[in-house]
Amino acid sequence: MYEFLKYEVRDAMTADPIAIGPNARLREVEEIFENHDFNGVPVVDDQRRLLGILTKFDLLKAFGLGVHALAPHYDAIMEQPAAAVMTHDPVSVEPRLPLSRLLQKLVEMRTKSLPVVENGRLVGIIARQDVLKALRRATIQHEIPLHQDSPS
Amino acid sequence: MTTLLYTHPACLEHDTSFGHPECPARLTAILNALRTAPFAALEWRDAPQATVEQLTRIHPRAYIERIFARVPRQGNFALDGDTILSPQSGEAALRAAGAVCAAVDAIVQGEASNAFCAIRPPGHHAEPNQAMGFCLFSNAAIGAAHARVAHGLARVAIIDFDVHHGNGTQAAVERDPGYLYISTHQAYIYPGTGRRGERGIGNIVNIPLLAGSGSADLRHVWRQEIEPALREFKPQLILISAGFDAHHMDPLAELNFNEEDYAWLTRRISAVAADFCAGQVVSILEGGYNLSALAASVAAHVKALMEAPARGHTP
Repeated sequence: MYEFLKYEVRDAMTADPIAIGPNARLREVEEIFENHDFNGVPVVDDQRRLLGILTKFDLLKAFGLGVHALAPHYDAIMEQPAAAVMTHDPVSVEPRLPLSRLLQKLVEMRTKSLPVVENGRLVGIIARQDVLKALRRATIQHEIPLHQDSPS
Repeated sequence: MTTLLYTHPACLEHDTSFGHPECPARLTAILNALRTAPFAALEWRDAPQATVEQLTRIHPRAYIERIFARVPRQGNFALDGDTILSPQSGEAALRAAGAVCAAVDAIVQGEASNAFCAIRPPGHHAEPNQAMGFCLFSNAAIGAAHARVAHGLARVAIIDFDVHHGNGTQAAVERDPGYLYISTHQAYIYPGTGRRGERGIGNIVNIPLLAGSGSADLRHVWRQEIEPALREFKPQLILISAGFDAHHMDPLAELNFNEEDYAWLTRRISAVAADFCAGQVVSILEGGYNLSALAASVAAHVKALMEAPARGHTP
């Protein structure tokens, strides 16, 4: 029943996740979202050091109304680099963080996923779905009924 | 009294490229609405071309020449990402500014009490030396200057209820106490100007509204700010920069006005005009990018103009 408390982020995360460079075009980012069920994609340098994260909301925000054009220039925006719209210095977690703490963090931040960083390098992504899967695993394997009614 | 409708087929020939929101279909939708039975009393007039003299009251001659030099023989030429020229854009822009001047002539000379200029390209973003935001010539400012110079009016008010701030109109009139410019617009969108602190020489009233503002907010700022400023100014003519993109269905902004708001505001403006200047109002089309919302809003606006009284009670 308390199996979940033994889990760490590294037990549930997606290791070596797909990441993009800061110069990737938003058109490529959109393709990644099209082909994978990601909420956001990490942005890394060539040493896989985490520079930022580009979420679907960041992508949408790039196409919003602003002061620089009366109508957004949708085609031109698709050619912008990831670095222009990503969230800089994103919150990240370490692989040894207890999953219960990660769960708490996701809820409090109302965020859908967080990058996992070890020694400054991106090693994984942990998302809501990963935590839910871990919860299922922890509870199905070790389920003990709360009340055991004696047969009458 | 009669309401005049100024327009010209050339305004339908200004082709801003495929899919552009400031498209000929906007004007077609408006004119189709104004051809229906409730508008039978409208007096339609062809817009003449503005003269160089009329334009140069606001724009340097070199600017005007620069615009015409960039009008392409075929295809499109982009002055910026928003502002696109086609072969007929030059004539359309001249007809747009010319419509406003002709309407001012007719109204000031008492041929009718008010007029609506169904024209494009729009004008209120065009600064004296800078085309931008779909606009080439500053139609409202050109009309206001025409009223001042050609007809000797001392005080001309411009009310701009387009959802975007009329940076061009403001730039043209902000140093002349003979003009009062009042603008309601959504804050923090294009063109980024129109903050409350921009007051000209005390003749500019900017009223930025937050995204989501609607009917109640419009009525509030009318009573608290627009009407008092207008009455204190004692206008001899009121021009309206009538953009309908603050409508709740417009794709380029996030204010929530509706057709009845435009009718209500038009009645309020007309009531002030009746009190100070025999109901003389010249309204000029600016933005509005949802075709059905635009047509319905213009219809409500023009109907209110047609029903406006020419005389008020408290001159």
